[in-house]
Amino acid sequence: MGGPSWLAWTFASVVLVVAAYCLTRLLASWRQRRPSDRRVDGIHVLMGVAMAGMLVPRLRVFWTGGWEVVFGIGTLWFAWLAIREFRGRPTAGGRPGHHLQHVLACGAMLYMFLAADTVAKARGSAMSGMAAGAAHLPTLALVLAFALFGYVIWTADRLSSLAPVAALAARVTPVPMFAEATAGGSASFGAAGGEGGDNGQVPPSRGQQVPPSQARRVPLSPRLAACCEIAMGVTMGYALILML
Amino acid sequence: MASQAADARARAGWLPGWRRSIGAAGEESWTVPDVRRRLQLVLAGIWLLDGVLQFQAFMFSKGFSQLLGATAAGNPAVIANPINWSAKIIADHPTATNAIFALIQVALGLGIAWRPARKLALGASVVWALAVWWLGEGLGGVLNGAASPVNGAPGAVIIYALLAVLLWPGRQDRAAPFIAGRFTGANVARVLWLVLWGSLAYLALLPATRAPKALGGMVAGMASGEPGWLFSLDDHLGAFLTSNGPAMSVVLAIVLALVAVSVFLPWPAARAGVVLAIAAAAFLWLAEGLGGLLAGGATDPNSGPLLALLALAFWPLASAAWSAAGQPKPAAATQSATSEGA
Repeated sequence: MGGPSWLAWTFASVVLVVAAYCLTRLLASWRQRRPSDRRVDGIHVLMGVAMAGMLVPRLRVFWTGGWEVVFGIGTLWFAWLAIREFRGRPTAGGRPGHHLQHVLACGAMLYMFLAADTVAKARGSAMSGMAAGAAHLPTLALVLAFALFGYVIWTADRLSSLAPVAALAARVTPVPMFAEATAGGSASFGAAGGEGGDNGQVPPSRGQQVPPSQARRVPLSPRLAACCEIAMGVTMGYALILML
Repeated sequence: MASQAADARARAGWLPGWRRSIGAAGEESWTVPDVRRRLQLVLAGIWLLDGVLQFQAFMFSKGFSQLLGATAAGNPAVIANPINWSAKIIADHPTATNAIFALIQVALGLGIAWRPARKLALGASVVWALAVWWLGEGLGGVLNGAASPVNGAPGAVIIYALLAVLLWPGRQDRAAPFIAGRFTGANVARVLWLVLWGSLAYLALLPATRAPKALGGMVAGMASGEPGWLFSLDDHLGAFLTSNGPAMSVVLAIVLALVAVSVFLPWPAARAGVVLAIAAAAFLWLAEGLGGLLAGGATDPNSGPLLALLALAFWPLASAAWSAAGQPKPAAATQSATSEGA
């Protein structure tokens, strides 16, 4: 069972926009050294491209079997991070249980590729996107869809507790940073402040010059990151429902 | 910390009104959802599932409008005419109307989950559910004699509306021995429970369920298109009910009647009644073939999960727990917005 082509294109466009945005987050995070969960942004780029190809065969960019390897590794990697987290070794940028969401998402992607390949082989023809219809283990597809929707709802519930970037920027006290102030003379907005930095640093007092390595920078929008997770989750749930 | 938050709010003063209000919320720490909020989130998840199910290919075909139009059969003209009218509109514009339906349901799910919009979304869900109950489900077949607890009567969608009302986040909660009574009051909630489960018990005794082979035929009919394990389960259950249908419909009616009155009983019996309600909901859901979700073409998970969710809302609380009715507990584990990472 496949959806109408315009609908597949719409969902593919959504995930491609999310992938493009996450790519810009990666670049901004790297160039401006602004805090962001690069692993999650990176996996969203991959998921967006993979899912677009799954929904619209014309958008495929990878060889057969390639995505299975990518998401197999992704599943194991995020599972390892989740285990570390539960053992009491917090990983950067993660709330409790944060990585489980990505274990689930990578696992769902892996399932979809494996199930789609199985169906295509069974039918002896190339898989036409999601249009090949019901996959093996449809019950697992439904369980994964339930779990993904659960995470989407959980993420949406937390959305309003995430501060917008403007508030985050306002929260930190602008401090002229030592290196940039002496080199370029421009007052950077790198900003330090807050009670206790992310890394447990002692916060500088207002106006105190700090080296760039200790300066706190405004994180990339956590709300938009959460919205990306919601969009990815809904689209992935749609793809799983198509496999029933 | 508080002064820092206030300072941040002051600095964010240039933001437009709606963003400022959201921003202010963002300055507060996240509150762990209380039981009612968790039940609301489950309801939101089911709405989201419904919305995505509505995006299936079948819903964009003429078959969907024919399915809706068929619910008019046997209903009084005053009920049937609007159903035929809306089915005709959907038949004329299947793509646009179905896309709108799907988006509305996705928006309801996400809206209930997003705290600033939860009241608006819950209110809208009541209106939407009532409209779908009439125009999409023909009032669940209650008036045309086709209704049975096993085929989802009195209509799964009316339970969404009931849940939205019972889980409404009122400004001042009333003391009630269960979550569902905090907005309406315990007595109103009990009466609503009695009406719902009592009507299910009554429907179980009507010919649509009690006639020989009616119950078995209904359950066996659900097996079509299901994966092996569910097909086998429904097939065997259907065979058993075909030979014992009338007796089993009476047993089902007694169980549902016991559930209906259980909320008026003392604490331990009420709790046993809720457990029985959850078990009955699970049985009905299996008999419904999990709402046809695994067969493709389902628009919702049918009544089973909603009845179970409703039962959880009536779970009797210990007296100490309900004296401080509905006050959300301060977060045991709160996190600042900046530590959210992604």
